[in-house]
Amino acid sequence: MSKILLEVKNLETHFKTEEGLVKAVDNVSFNLMRGETVGIVGESGSGKSVTSLSIMRLIPSPPGKIVGGEINFYDKDGSVTNLVEASEADMRDLRGNEISMIFQEPMTSLNPVFTCGNQVTEAIKLHQNVSNAEAKERTLKLFEKVQLPTPDRIFKAYPHQLSGGQKQRVMIAMAMSCNPQVLIADEPTTALDVTVQKTILELMSNLKDEIDASIMFITHDLGVIAEIADRVIVMYKGNIVEQGDVYSIFSNPQHPYTKGLLACRPPLNRRLSKLPTVADFMEEKDGELVELNSSVDEMLASFEISREKHDAHLVELKKKEPLLQVRNLKTYFPSEKNFFGKVLNYVKAVDDVSFDVYPGETLGLVGESGCGKTTLGRTILRLAPAWDGEVIYRGKRILDLSKAEMKDLRKEIQIIFQDPYSSLNPRLTIGNAIMEPMQVHGILANDQERKDKVVELLETVSLLPHHFNRYPHEFSGGQRQRICIARSLALNPKFIICDESVSALDVSVQAQVLNLLIELREKMDLTYIFISHDLSVVKFMSDRMIVMNKGKIEQMGPADSIYENPETQYTKNLISAIPKGLVSDIKVRTSKGEA
Amino acid sequence: MPVFGAIAMIQFIIKRLLSGFSVLFGVTILVFILFKMMPDPARLVMGQRADVASIEAIRKAEYLDEPVPVQFLYYLNDISPISIYEDTPKNKKEYRYSKMFSIGEKAVVAKLPYLRRSYQTKRRVTEVITSALPTTAILAITAMGLASFFGILFGILAALRQYTFVDNSILVTTVLGISQPSYFSGVILGLVFGYLLSDYTGLSHTGGLFELTDLGDEVFQPQNIILPALALGIRPIAIITQLTRGSMVEVLSQDYIRTAKSKGLSFAKVVYKHALRNALNPVITAISGWFAGLLAGAFFIEIIFDIKGLGFETIKALQNLDFPVVMGSVLLTATIFVSINIFVDLIYGFLDPRVSKK
Repeated sequence: MSKILLEVKNLETHFKTEEGLVKAVDNVSFNLMRGETVGIVGESGSGKSVTSLSIMRLIPSPPGKIVGGEINFYDKDGSVTNLVEASEADMRDLRGNEISMIFQEPMTSLNPVFTCGNQVTEAIKLHQNVSNAEAKERTLKLFEKVQLPTPDRIFKAYPHQLSGGQKQRVMIAMAMSCNPQVLIADEPTTALDVTVQKTILELMSNLKDEIDASIMFITHDLGVIAEIADRVIVMYKGNIVEQGDVYSIFSNPQHPYTKGLLACRPPLNRRLSKLPTVADFMEEKDGELVELNSSVDEMLASFEISREKHDAHLVELKKKEPLLQVRNLKTYFPSEKNFFGKVLNYVKAVDDVSFDVYPGETLGLVGESGCGKTTLGRTILRLAPAWDGEVIYRGKRILDLSKAEMKDLRKEIQIIFQDPYSSLNPRLTIGNAIMEPMQVHGILANDQERKDKVVELLETVSLLPHHFNRYPHEFSGGQRQRICIARSLALNPKFIICDESVSALDVSVQAQVLNLLIELREKMDLTYIFISHDLSVVKFMSDRMIVMNKGKIEQMGPADSIYENPETQYTKNLISAIPKGLVSDIKVRTSKGEA
Repeated sequence: MPVFGAIAMIQFIIKRLLSGFSVLFGVTILVFILFKMMPDPARLVMGQRADVASIEAIRKAEYLDEPVPVQFLYYLNDISPISIYEDTPKNKKEYRYSKMFSIGEKAVVAKLPYLRRSYQTKRRVTEVITSALPTTAILAITAMGLASFFGILFGILAALRQYTFVDNSILVTTVLGISQPSYFSGVILGLVFGYLLSDYTGLSHTGGLFELTDLGDEVFQPQNIILPALALGIRPIAIITQLTRGSMVEVLSQDYIRTAKSKGLSFAKVVYKHALRNALNPVITAISGWFAGLLAGAFFIEIIFDIKGLGFETIKALQNLDFPVVMGSVLLTATIFVSINIFVDLIYGFLDPRVSKK
């Protein structure tokens, strides 16, 4: 049996778009060995997903097309198939059977109108000659294997009745159902909480050994790669810029892009004034890459803030009067009603929470999805109704304000949402989108002055004045989040709530946006509440941090000391679930595999 | 239905029935007010040569000498399936009730809704409606059956061949189909296939579904449905095609379609199993609304093809200010809309389990 399982040779996949030909994958070659996990890492648009879809031959066509190269699949029985030239019927036999795939969005990757059981048995019955009863039996066993609680119930459940992590387990069960030789996982954990991500990663590597498969693991986050991969392929603009075993990539990265990706992840063990970005390591001049800095460690060291300096900063912050005081805040939603609409039960989304925010401070809110952190942010802004308690902003009781007073206050308190794709109106030019809040609140004398202000704001968030008349779809995710930031700055706010504002972004883009937020905080004297499920991001951004669980405060204190001394199991789990990407951990993991 | 728990489903139906009932009540009030704004019905019943005594008799029989709210209560009592009457043989013959129990001289009875009698023909309104309804129902079902089948078929075809010649031709045709009103296509179809080409098609321009022979027997004439159903179906075909196409195009770009393909399913199976069911919701909304509309009577088409359906009877009644018939058909129309809406909500829940959660 050949040791090579999949051989990709000079693969070229191009897309015809209105702007011209896009070489999404441009001459890519690599091998996948039997029993191996290869991690493919790169930013959105680097061609990593297109590579995997090319292997599955699921490139949407038009506009996409594989225009050159070979993808040889070495089957167990010794036969070799070139997937680029295989017939559609042959490909259908392979898909889901020998080569299967897990996708990024568990929320949308399962068909909403069929039960989870039905969707898995469908795959089994398609490729294996078994009875309905046998297929159901196997599906239930698979559900057990992917550690789904109560497999019987999940079998009958529809996707919307499951959590994100459970759905991804169903996807994994489906992908594993015919014991495939190749498992392609395209960002399988990106949409999940870090704690759920950890369990899914463990599950995948256990299952891989059990059915003796090879995994192609695609992600934008090198930290995740460190937890699972044997070998790493780094892709940039449709090309492979570096590949090697995981230990050497992390301990001795060669390409400046790899170094940038490694450095831009918020570190847990030190405090930085800002994050290095890919742009700190390389720039493109006339199509040539120029290396700017060569050492990741030196770069990180130059941004480091000493513990003493930061402690002094914390003391300084607390000297002022609090800007915002939250007292015994509760937000309950009715969860169960009887026939006549009388509420029988409540979900306690925020349950008796009290804290202060000082001027100039960044207060982090961290916790798993459903812990109430987002509702807390929305309740402060009166976007969700408070049940009880008080919110005092500069001496004003926000919850008691009239509509007109609240409108006035909204100038000072702004929110930046998670999804930069859906929080901008697609039919409004970004200039008008930024100008709109100023018109609503009657800021500045006329639209000409407002336009000037918009141009100034665009420059503040590193966009260009001529972007004024463009529409949101013309921008990337990171740029859109900058637009959202510019829009919230239009009213000269004092206080901004960032609700998962970087969670939808690639790690490298996330670093840029975080740096921008820090820069703005200094420049415009802003105070933030920074909400995220990712403790590493919150710790990097925040002076103090609140860990939330089931609507209550689990732990509150200076960010660094919570990380160093977590008091409860919940906080400990949050911290240990973060993929740290430490060279020492990789060494332990890879040597275990060899032993 | 796997989606609902049995209890949840019964609760849902009860709630919807209650709200449907209040809609019908509202409609009854509106119709009654309208009725009260019209000229004195007694004169309408008797015509121009009425003498005072007869008019008074009519007024009495129709409760017109009572105050308006009392008149309304009498009307409600008549249309309600459970009502109170004096238990006399005359009443029993008129209302065709079965007595449940007595309260003093009066009896609480169960009956079919009594819609009173036509001013013109003195026929029972219930009879007028039930004799016209089958024709209209067959016409509506045939037209919407045709429209749903071809509309969904063309819609899928266009979605799968997006931006190609096939797609463009279908779209252009649907725009043509939407732009012509049914009385226009009715006349053209009747003229061409029912008159000019009638020797070849064997169809005639006019004729109802149930024709009387010279001997007085009623015969079913199914071929007479073809042209009117086509004329009625053209616009819904066009609209259903466009809706199906739009919805299909969107569904086909969803992640779960990619998942289905990655399982190794054939393209046909991906389309009809995984995509179609997700794409149907807006289509069902359109079909059901249109169908309910047709059940209320397709006035133009019934007149062009001389079919004595509900639409024909209603128009006739309106012309003659024959209010009991008008009110009867308005109530029937409202009932049809309400029941079809409840039924469609159940279908939504069946097609998409997420709906039942709300």
